Amino acid sequence: MTPLLEVTRLSIAFGGLRAVQDFNLALAAGDLQGLIGPNGAGKTTVFNLLTGVYRPDAGEIRLAGRRLDGLRPFQIARAGLARTFQASRLLADLSVADNVRVGAQLRTRPSLLGTVLRTRRHRATEGDIEARTRRLLETFGLAERCDELARHLPYGDQRRLEMARALATQPRVLLLDEPAAGMNPQEKLALRELIRRVRREFGVTILLIEHDMSVVMSICETVTVLDYGVTIARGTPPEVQGDPGVIEAYLGVAAQTRGPGGGA
Amino acid sequence: MSAAAHRDGPPAVWAHAWRSGAPLLVAVGVGLLMHFAVQPAVGAFKARVLVDIGINVILAVSLTLVNGFTGQFSIGHAGFMALGGYAAGALSYYGSYQLFGAAAFNGGVLSWTASQGPFHGPWVGGGDLLFVAACLVGGLVAAGAGYLVGLPSLRLRGDYLAIVTLGFGEIVRVVLQSTQTQLSQAAEVAATPWPLLTLKLGGALGFIGLPFYTTLFWVYLAVALTLTVAIRLKRSSYGRAFLAIREDEVAAEALGVHTTRYKVRAFVLAAFLAGVAGALYAHLVGSINAGELGFQKSFEVVIMVVLGGMGSVSGSTLAAIVLTLLPELLRTVTGSVNTYLPPAYELPDLRMIIYSLALILMMILRPQGFFGLREIWDWRVRRRPRPA
Ligand SMILES: Nc1ncnc2c1ncn2[C@@H]1O[C@H](COP(=O)(O)OP(=O)(O)O)[C@@H](O)[C@H]1O
Ligand SMILES: [Mg+2]
Repeated sequence: MTPLLEVTRLSIAFGGLRAVQDFNLALAAGDLQGLIGPNGAGKTTVFNLLTGVYRPDAGEIRLAGRRLDGLRPFQIARAGLARTFQASRLLADLSVADNVRVGAQLRTRPSLLGTVLRTRRHRATEGDIEARTRRLLETFGLAERCDELARHLPYGDQRRLEMARALATQPRVLLLDEPAAGMNPQEKLALRELIRRVRREFGVTILLIEHDMSVVMSICETVTVLDYGVTIARGTPPEVQGDPGVIEAYLGVAAQTRGPGGGA
Repeated sequence: MSAAAHRDGPPAVWAHAWRSGAPLLVAVGVGLLMHFAVQPAVGAFKARVLVDIGINVILAVSLTLVNGFTGQFSIGHAGFMALGGYAAGALSYYGSYQLFGAAAFNGGVLSWTASQGPFHGPWVGGGDLLFVAACLVGGLVAAGAGYLVGLPSLRLRGDYLAIVTLGFGEIVRVVLQSTQTQLSQAAEVAATPWPLLTLKLGGALGFIGLPFYTTLFWVYLAVALTLTVAIRLKRSSYGRAFLAIREDEVAAEALGVHTTRYKVRAFVLAAFLAGVAGALYAHLVGSINAGELGFQKSFEVVIMVVLGGMGSVSGSTLAAIVLTLLPELLRTVTGSVNTYLPPAYELPDLRMIIYSLALILMMILRPQGFFGLREIWDWRVRRRPRPA
């Protein structure tokens, strides 16, 4: 069976810096995989390549057999690949609900005339968007705050809003870039549950970048480790945690602090 | 299912039609009210100020679609106004020669300005139709130009649009001012084919002798329609796509918004409305001169949008009203002060100085404008207590 998302020999360099080299990945439908590595390893760059923010120097990206490399970001989103951003990129001056609505309207084709005349079809479409938005806001515990501006949300809520908004596009694959960053331990525990639940209820395949080992190691089935743009290990969490190269990479950066085996 | 559809069939249809069309009826109602009630009551001078306000509201609200909703920065709006005015003028002027034998008024009571004397004629004349067609053509020509200007420059990020629109406004001015002498003999007009007529727009002297059709009715009809379009857009998928671009272009793309397409659409729509405003202006004054629609006019509209709120329809409407009244007020004040001053110390026209100061203060104190993205009626929402 061919994987849902298949990445082969993906590479990009910024000037002399080879940020990602020969990156391979296969996500089967329903997978929940992790992507880890020290700061600056190239994890976010992989996401930017997958979503068309950067154009790869070499390599191929296929979603359900369809080539995605070379497409523009909005085309990739429409093809079914959604993401969150490490540094929050909420639509800060729009309401919480509007942030989700923008995602939820992805598969509709609003016409100018229909909008201006508020035709019956237009109202039906807007009604659908509204219904899906409500459902997502409920799932993510944001319904109470739906009329607030996104910029006024507490940090944890902002991270969840990013996820809700990405899911609103009805993706097949969801890329999460450090969703636990800045969360307290209780929020992190809840996040693990939320990610599992999202996979179950929305039927998405997930690739998770996460700095917090306790989160990655407890919920991912397969983990890929990047260091200086190169894949240095791949396997189940225990395999990766015991890999000498991985320990070395982490020790080199965060000398003597908790390595990949530290959490859980 | 069919039974249910049958049961609430006719009333539902009417309800839908009402919800779609109510603003249109309101627009016509407002126009009629302004024309038949307000115009006679306030007199010629104040009626003219009201017309100016209306035209500026259309300009400001249309620019809000670009500079406010999509967060781009266009500073050549007067160029679209000029294009629309000339295109509409060409159609109504030469069209009147060909249809009626002279470029004279041929309209009905809705297009007749009361101050020109008592009206004896039909409710709607052939000239009215020509005038409406001219306004639409003015809008479409401006929209076409907007597409040609917007497509290449909106693909690029950053401030290219500001530079390009600035240049565009100047090019339009120069081109229109170097058109050929206009024809004013019916026989000449009849003997000249249309493509050549569109080159004869009066050049540096301006395009003059246009028939007067613009009244409070037409202006406030257009204002009401413009406001309806802007507000309906803002509260829909379309407008959310615009606003998403303004907030964060990268995030908007990641959510599937075709950013280039929506930016171009906002720009073209704004150009269309500016073109209609130009058409109204041309048939208000009876002439149009590109020399008067240069950077200063564009700057005025930008200030209205910036002061009112980058993205607030009601805010830019309010700013357009205030900034149209302000010069009238200033004229009165400086006029009466100057009568007491020796000629060498008379106050100059303070308008642009005040505008610039207001703009600088605003940029420092409240860069998002008085209203920001909010509408006047949104304040109610904010004060509503949140469910605990
Ligand atoms: N647009 C860019 N231009 C230049 N260098 C970049 C760019 N994006 C990322 N990099 C570099 O690529 C490397 C990987 O960055 P990143 O993918 O953000 O790491 P992380 O694994 O922490 O997410 C870093 O050295 C970063 O400085
Ligand atoms: Mg990163």
